[in-house]
Amino acid sequence: MAAPGSCALWSYCGRGWSWAMRGCQLLGLRSSWPGAPLSARLLSQEKRATETHFGFETVSEEEKGGKVYQVFESVAKKYDVMNDMMSLGIHRVWKDLLLWKMRPLPGTQLLDVAGGTGLAWVLGDAEELPFDDDKFDIYTIAFGIRNVTHIDQALQEAHRVLKPGGRFLCLEFSQVNNPLISRLYDLYSFQVIPVLGEVIAGDWKSYQYLVESIRKFPSQEEFKEMIEDAGFHKVTYESLTSGIVAIHSGFKL
Amino acid sequence: MATLLRPVFRRLCGLPGLQRPAAEMPLRARSDGAGPLYSHHIPTSPLQKALLAAGSAAMALYNPYRHDMVAVLGETTGHRTLKVLRDQMRRDPEGAQILQERPRISTSTLDLGKLQSLPEGSLGREYLRFLDVNRVSPDTRAPTRFVDDEELAYVIQRYREVHDMLHTLLGMPTNILGEIVVKWFEAVQTGLPMCILGAFFGPIRLGAQSLQVLVSELIPWAVQNGRRAPCVLNLYYERRWEQSLRALREELGITAPPMHVQGLA
Repeated sequence: MAAPGSCALWSYCGRGWSWAMRGCQLLGLRSSWPGAPLSARLLSQEKRATETHFGFETVSEEEKGGKVYQVFESVAKKYDVMNDMMSLGIHRVWKDLLLWKMRPLPGTQLLDVAGGTGLAWVLGDAEELPFDDDKFDIYTIAFGIRNVTHIDQALQEAHRVLKPGGRFLCLEFSQVNNPLISRLYDLYSFQVIPVLGEVIAGDWKSYQYLVESIRKFPSQEEFKEMIEDAGFHKVTYESLTSGIVAIHSGFKL
Repeated sequence: MATLLRPVFRRLCGLPGLQRPAAEMPLRARSDGAGPLYSHHIPTSPLQKALLAAGSAAMALYNPYRHDMVAVLGETTGHRTLKVLRDQMRRDPEGAQILQERPRISTSTLDLGKLQSLPEGSLGREYLRFLDVNRVSPDTRAPTRFVDDEELAYVIQRYREVHDMLHTLLGMPTNILGEIVVKWFEAVQTGLPMCILGAFFGPIRLGAQSLQVLVSELIPWAVQNGRRAPCVLNLYYERRWEQSLRALREELGITAPPMHVQGLA
């Protein structure tokens, strides 16, 4: 999640929650170079020829991690400004809603993956988390899972590190459910966003990747199935802003 | 109403070079020729070019250190003018050679050691001195991205790389006053909308005294020289390193500036 300043999560809380947040143990996980360690890589040698998507481009799975890393290295400096510009500040509302759904209480152990700006840090890989099993009450990932090379592995890891009874929450771009809004959204995404990226951040290509990667991400229903495949139960989703984003939720039993 | 507007809409958002109605989502690297035409090329729709032109102009004014925005402005507004410049280069023997051979000015293509060894007062030596004194490098010119024609992309790249030569020829430093003077010369010489905009809007950030000197002495001098000189894009500078700067100035009809412009040069 992105936010200006330290003590970041405080600013996203709805008025009623700010006191509740203080007691939570918050850990942000910033995705490191999303490559597997050497031993795991040797095991997957047969898979080297596997291809995947990088936006609308086709790349090898090996390459994708590095390319995504480069994109985020490039956008990091102006991340918050650009998010505000592109979504006209609406991303803050979405993140607020995610927090509201979470209703964290004092003592909640929360892991936020692909943390972006703010929070206290641990460096790691979403596909291979540096934490023990059954550790966290809540696992959140906001606008991060779309960029992971093996989403199923990230979901499995989320399942592993959650305590029984723990909750998985994901805020991510999704598929728009209204045809008219879909066309306007596509128009805005492809005509305006890369231009904004170029003018504000001097970086067309990263923002082109951004809007393309959104189109490649599974729909609400498909993603729900993927979460179920990872072992979660009571998986539900809620579309926001006509489906531009969706919050998926699941429980580890 | 929607059906009437649809073809207009499609043209505005479609990529250049597409025969059939374009989707609103410009895809990258397509097999029907709407993909990149040269290295670094980013194909853009007319709407994107308009937005880029407006955005880059605003950003360049707001933050003068965003040289990349000036470059983007030039690329998105210069198509028609670049055609005129290219045609005019074709008609000139030296210009035609440049178009054919496509020389580039960068630290990898320049033999800096050789330039250093040239006599004082030669173009090569004085160009090197200009780079040293102003602490600039020919490598800071960004590659062309938004011009949808590969030859025109070279023309604007050449114009950018020749810019430092113009500083040397005109004896202008790289501070804001010097840049504005060179922009006026370039505006008259090339007619590029970006040069014209830069020439008129650049002075906004100047103090009263500089402005006075600019308007009364420097601009008239730059305009006069710009009109008198043949097109500076037609000069194969790489073949003229040994030529004396003074002789080259005479050949082009460039006179000494009315006063020494304070700066590093």
